Amino acid sequence: MTLATSEASRTRATGASLRLAILLFVADPQWLVPSTVAPIVFGLVSFELFRGEGPYFLTYAILGAGMMSMWGQTLYGSGWATGQDRNLGTLEPTIQAPTPYLYVVLGRIIWNVVAGLFGGLVVYLVVVLAAGGPPQLPNPLLFVVLFVFVMVTLASVGVVFAAAFVYSRYAGFIQNVGEFAFYIGTGCMFPVVLLPFWTNPIALLFPPTWALDALRYVSIPGYAGFGWGWGWDLAGAVAVTGVYAAIAGTVFTRVERHVLETGDLSDY
Amino acid sequence: MNDDLAIEVRDLVRTFESRKGFFFGEKTHTEALKGVELNVGRGAIFGLLGPNGAGKTTLTKILSTLLLPTSGTVQVLGHDVVKDTSWLRSRIGLVLGGERGLYNRINARENLRYFADLYGIPASERDRRITEVIERVDLTWAADRRVEEYSRGMKQKLHIARGILHRPEILFLDEPTIGLDPKSARETRKLVRSLVVEGVTIFLTTHYMFEAEELCPRVAVLSKGKIVANDSIAGLRSRVGGDRTIEVEAYGFEDREIDRLKGLPGVSKVAGEAFGPLMRLTLRVRTDDTTPETVQGLLPGHPELSVRERRTSLEDIYLDLVEEEAQ
Amino acid sequence: MATPIATAYRPAFWRTFWTNAILAPRTSLGFMRLDFVLGTVFIIPLTQMVFFAFVVQLGNGGSALIEFTAVGNAVATVTYSSVFSVCQTTDTEKQQGTMEHLLVSPANRFALYLGRGLIPILISFATVCVGLAYAAFLFHVPIPLSTIPGLAISVVLTALAMVGFGLLLGGVALYLRTSIILGNIFLFIGLLLSGVNFPVSNLPLPLQYIGDALPLTWGLAAIRGAIAGDSLGTLGYLWGAVALSGIVSVGLAMGLWGFFERRALATGSIARF
Repeated sequence: MTLATSEASRTRATGASLRLAILLFVADPQWLVPSTVAPIVFGLVSFELFRGEGPYFLTYAILGAGMMSMWGQTLYGSGWATGQDRNLGTLEPTIQAPTPYLYVVLGRIIWNVVAGLFGGLVVYLVVVLAAGGPPQLPNPLLFVVLFVFVMVTLASVGVVFAAAFVYSRYAGFIQNVGEFAFYIGTGCMFPVVLLPFWTNPIALLFPPTWALDALRYVSIPGYAGFGWGWGWDLAGAVAVTGVYAAIAGTVFTRVERHVLETGDLSDY
Repeated sequence: MNDDLAIEVRDLVRTFESRKGFFFGEKTHTEALKGVELNVGRGAIFGLLGPNGAGKTTLTKILSTLLLPTSGTVQVLGHDVVKDTSWLRSRIGLVLGGERGLYNRINARENLRYFADLYGIPASERDRRITEVIERVDLTWAADRRVEEYSRGMKQKLHIARGILHRPEILFLDEPTIGLDPKSARETRKLVRSLVVEGVTIFLTTHYMFEAEELCPRVAVLSKGKIVANDSIAGLRSRVGGDRTIEVEAYGFEDREIDRLKGLPGVSKVAGEAFGPLMRLTLRVRTDDTTPETVQGLLPGHPELSVRERRTSLEDIYLDLVEEEAQ
Repeated sequence: MATPIATAYRPAFWRTFWTNAILAPRTSLGFMRLDFVLGTVFIIPLTQMVFFAFVVQLGNGGSALIEFTAVGNAVATVTYSSVFSVCQTTDTEKQQGTMEHLLVSPANRFALYLGRGLIPILISFATVCVGLAYAAFLFHVPIPLSTIPGLAISVVLTALAMVGFGLLLGGVALYLRTSIILGNIFLFIGLLLSGVNFPVSNLPLPLQYIGDALPLTWGLAAIRGAIAGDSLGTLGYLWGAVALSGIVSVGLAMGLWGFFERRALATGSIARF
């Protein structure tokens, strides 16, 4: 009689995947270097570029650089892990297990969220050190809560990115090409309202756009943003993230079916 | 659906599409499986033989839910591989083997623990089961070493350990002894036999004829995407013309000598092969009327003549069938 | 004793060079398809330039600074096709299991690695040209026609030097588990230390020294100098610096490939990824 269970193992699969991500990181901690270097660079570059922004330039710099490094860690990290599964040849046995692959991806995303927050913290420290003091934050607690919330919204997009890596071995390249377009479209370094109006509806399809707007509202007095206040931003972010979460299962089922049809699950 | 069948394949076709060239490329289609029909009974070892590129791995992947058929129906344990994927995956074990497919940076135990969790093996049994399978494949001494330090054979054993970790009802083994030293290969075959005793159905693809002959009461030969034979080894022997083989070696034979051999009672086939100046004739013999002595008596004038008799091996059968298919 | 055919027909320098030049882009450089090349040449520079232009706009940097970042990023995007893709070959070879076969072959290493750089040099050259065209037409950076010859020399030298730098990192990556780490680090460091988005002089002195060690810093200075119509003397100095950074990179790359090849063989890390 088989020991495997097809239904009860989803939470365990996510836990196992998180555990594996930590084990693999510990086995190869070299990743700490770029994970630290990137936030330092982003922090210093945005500190330089936002100097002219006025009294809240430090907040702009921290938000911009923090988001850039978290974007990289959370979004690309999640996809990269699936790409690694392809390279190692572990994607086939993982897909062959009875637990849907989505739950494996979720475990990795949780790890990437933690790593992303580490990047955010490095940015904060770098900018504070460069400026010689902390930024003025009207509501530090809400700032921190929303900062973490932005990570959650990023994670929901990370799921879609990971699906792309299951879909095609070329996802990494497409991701590189689309990297800055995504930064622009979701307003990670600057508000989306600076972009031509026609781009705004597209930007609002991404949960982080809403969450970041809310974060800027609560941390930069006088911030105009979309103009509907942080409460609506928050509601929008929750709603769009909910949609992402709701369709994630379907997206993965479709993607898995596609690769089983094409037979390129073992290609790398 | 027949309940005695572990695998039932009807008119299975699988086509692959690929692109050629740098400039977006033109599409090409390759038909890897061309209407495969196959029944495999429960609780036994079934061997699938075939030359490289015959479609063995494609068929194994379809049966183990890792590839969808282009057309046709495939049932494993009475369930459709396309519709009942989730049900089947918890009951199927798959060993693809090779250098890839494992997390190299962590140890064997951690690799198995990860997959134990993905298979939802009860937490109370997990660690005990991991220790058990590690012992079973004789990796206890290296269980806590990183997989990247493993030899090819050790990796192969770990693949097998993962395949049987969740006690599957059916186990697909794709070339399980490739890369193993003779002792490990023998132990693996022993392990496979013990799994059958426990009630596991084994679907084995192999290039080693002696392995198939030793393990599989029934085999199928896949050639160019088609099953060209599916029978017991005895049945296959009779199909290729007898279970006795007489080999005759000398420095060249005349045509009339070969014709004389063909005319012997019970001889169904005479095939020739040259090894430099040396020529070997292989006779398939159905009855006991023809013996090495009879053969020797028909070939006077060959002082260096060597005649010996052996049982027709699966390798003989396989080569005959593949050759037949090629013609 | 029989003569091994490989010794009897040891591949000639140019044969090794051309084989690698033609095959490597598809086998290990990541330029497997035409659409990948087009994406690298046309899309990456555009999006990166637009991104930083908006950042500068938000930081009230004014049109002069927008032009500055436009040129900076037009050139910085060359990092993808040169440094990143070339040093990534090490990873690809390891994952495919071809690295050991490559190292065990009698092929001339210099020809082998130099050959691998050929297509990246061409793609890098195209990327900078397209980036500068975007700078001129979309970001209104004045590029007088008279500056084109000097600009062309600067761009060619930058592409060569950057690919040399990629080879250098690829050599170091031989010893590491993955080369993407190095590629990433230098992708980011270039943005900070090479004067891409703000003048190098804004940086603290120690960081400026580090920036001086990067070919991108000198390549960018030469390209900016050519656009500004600097004298031949000034440009000559900058061209010399770019060329020197490239030659030093390739020289170090050859030395490091040898050194790390021995280290990797000693530690067994050649097959680890």
